[in-house]
Amino acid sequence: MIEINQISKSFDRKVALDELSFQIPKGQIFGLLGPNGAGKTTLIRILNQIILPDNGTIRVEGKLLNESHWKNFGYLPEERGLYKSMKVIDMLVFLAKLRGMSNYDALKNTNYWLDKFDIKEWSNKYIASLSKGMSQKVQFIAAVVHEPEYLILDEPLSGFDPINVELILNELKFMKSEGKSIILSTHNMQSVEEICDDVVLLHKSKLIASDTVENLRSSVKNGLFSIRFSGNMIALANALWTDFELLETKELGNNRFQVLVRKRGERTFEDLINNLMGKLTLEAVEEKLPSMQEVFMSLITKEEVLHAE
Amino acid sequence: MRNSLIIAQRELRERLENRSFIAMLFIGPLLILAFIYFLLQFGDQGKTNMKVLIVDPSGLLENKISSQESKALNYYFYDDYVEIAEFKDGKRFQEFDAMIELNEKVLINKKVFLFYREAPSIDLKMKLKFEVERRVEEVMIEQFTQLSVNAFRQIKQPLNIDFRSVYDPKNEADNSSSWVGFFFGLIILFFISLFGMTVLRGIAKDKSNRVVELMLASVKSRDMMLGKILGIGWAALLQLFVWTLLVGLGLVIFKSFFFKDIFDASSFEGIQMSEEVKNEILTNSSIAKYNAFIDLIYHRINFWVMIPHFVLLFVLSYLFYASFFSAIGATAGTESDGQQFVIPIFVVLMVSVYAGYMSVYWPDSQLAHLFLYLPFTSSMVNLINISNGFAIGSYVETLFSILILIVCAWLFLSIAGRLYKNGILAYGHTLRLRNLFQWLKKS
Repeated sequence: MIEINQISKSFDRKVALDELSFQIPKGQIFGLLGPNGAGKTTLIRILNQIILPDNGTIRVEGKLLNESHWKNFGYLPEERGLYKSMKVIDMLVFLAKLRGMSNYDALKNTNYWLDKFDIKEWSNKYIASLSKGMSQKVQFIAAVVHEPEYLILDEPLSGFDPINVELILNELKFMKSEGKSIILSTHNMQSVEEICDDVVLLHKSKLIASDTVENLRSSVKNGLFSIRFSGNMIALANALWTDFELLETKELGNNRFQVLVRKRGERTFEDLINNLMGKLTLEAVEEKLPSMQEVFMSLITKEEVLHAE
Repeated sequence: MRNSLIIAQRELRERLENRSFIAMLFIGPLLILAFIYFLLQFGDQGKTNMKVLIVDPSGLLENKISSQESKALNYYFYDDYVEIAEFKDGKRFQEFDAMIELNEKVLINKKVFLFYREAPSIDLKMKLKFEVERRVEEVMIEQFTQLSVNAFRQIKQPLNIDFRSVYDPKNEADNSSSWVGFFFGLIILFFISLFGMTVLRGIAKDKSNRVVELMLASVKSRDMMLGKILGIGWAALLQLFVWTLLVGLGLVIFKSFFFKDIFDASSFEGIQMSEEVKNEILTNSSIAKYNAFIDLIYHRINFWVMIPHFVLLFVLSYLFYASFFSAIGATAGTESDGQQFVIPIFVVLMVSVYAGYMSVYWPDSQLAHLFLYLPFTSSMVNLINISNGFAIGSYVETLFSILILIVCAWLFLSIAGRLYKNGILAYGHTLRLRNLFQWLKKS
């Protein structure tokens, strides 16, 4: 577990992080979210010991973060950069050795990952000759080649095509299943929904939310329900009456419909079921939780309003 | 330190895989050798054999000089007066390359003119001077003195006032040795400028392609800087070693196979000379200068002392100056921005050259002593002092100066490390002195 305690950092007079405190549990994919300039990269740099905080402490497994933790951390920075004049295999071995691996282990692991990503034939290619997507893959391998316990990924999916996005997401899930902790900073909210357990949301150098993805989505839920049924729309309108508002209708054929409704007042999911029961042949009813994109927008907007007041 | 060494290895490998570095490893010394070859081969473009007409109406040199004395020179005698215009245009004189005019006034005004159609080579000029001048001299000795030729030659040398220091009455430390030290110092400055800029450009490049972010997540910024400096320093040492080896080897080959005659006094075998005369020639000609050079290089410079000091001072000076180059590379917003800040470093390097001149010509001046202890100039001055040799007591000064250089190199590497750490992640700005002071204050 990583414990972040009262971390602050300023550049000249600009506050980048303001007394940030939260915990990153072991064995999870942890989302670090926030709009541009929120302080995510600063926090990531502090976690990687690239810069030091002005105040506060970070503990890893109870020990203060120090240079001995370098070998336990893997890092994929947002600003990708590799030595263009090096061959792929040399670059990866070099970076693994810097993380404390022996030459033998570095070479062995590099070959394992090149094999796993099916890019062994790139081994002797120069970095300069790689396409952006190829270079991204090499950079991802550079972050994991030394088998870190904690993996910090800053926008890991940018530059990848959908197939490779899937490949990376599956790899992250696999690493999580092996007990590794992954800290993921991204603007790709769909992937956050898909793979993140806990998330924190930073805004203007402060922490404005910290919870599981499910809890965050539930916390800003907006009373939307999805209903699939067979029958007719008049029966539906009668059933909803004044308690629920019909927003969208989709005809599925053979008198089957998919509709989206919003509750009015203090109505609940149970009220909806009671209203519908016996009036329609129900196939599915579910509460539509907001997407992480909506959660993100909602929380940021709420914070902006509060700030303005 | 482990990571510094890994980074240094990478830097060295990058240079060794760089075609232009490998090319320069061999092209550099080849160019130097080609230049030397050119000088030796084509430096003397004059005529190498001549038919010389000796116009000797009074028969001064009769039976004193013959065509057989030198293969390159064929003498012909003419016992009447010849005007220059006649020699120049007259049909019967066209076969002669030169005319030596020996009239009866020669013994009074001691002046002999040689008129040539095409300038003779230095070698031929020397032979002509030797053969004609000495024969005329012998005639004069016979006619005007009671002395033997040898006795005359012993006293004929002009009086020379030689300026020498009371501290060095035997002139053991004349400045020809100093120039060797100066030359070694120049090599250090040359390599510092060359590889210092490589350090700066290397760091600026790492910064611009954003690889530093990845590196700094696994290595301390100071170690990263040190690795860069060390790796490029190894490349510099390697280049220096290969250049020295190849140039040295080339010179030996030149001396042994290509230019044997130029450097070998025995090539005057066509001339009948006593040992004494040979020695005199060898001390009064351009060959003598070469011999002095040989004497300087092979006998007067103690290379067993010089080379280790050269390597030590090279390493320390490189570390000292490289700290400045790396600090500028790390703190500059762009590579071109950094190059503006390099100008003061080059000015300091120029001061080192001036310090060298000071130490060669005025080794005992206060300024030369000051330059000995300044870390910017100490390598140059120390090498000049070492090339002159030193008494056991005076070596303390050298040691103290080296100690100051070690301390300053360490100090400036620490300062550069701080600037590197605080500046390496700053992008796109225009570097100002204010930034440097701010980053120096930050921990």
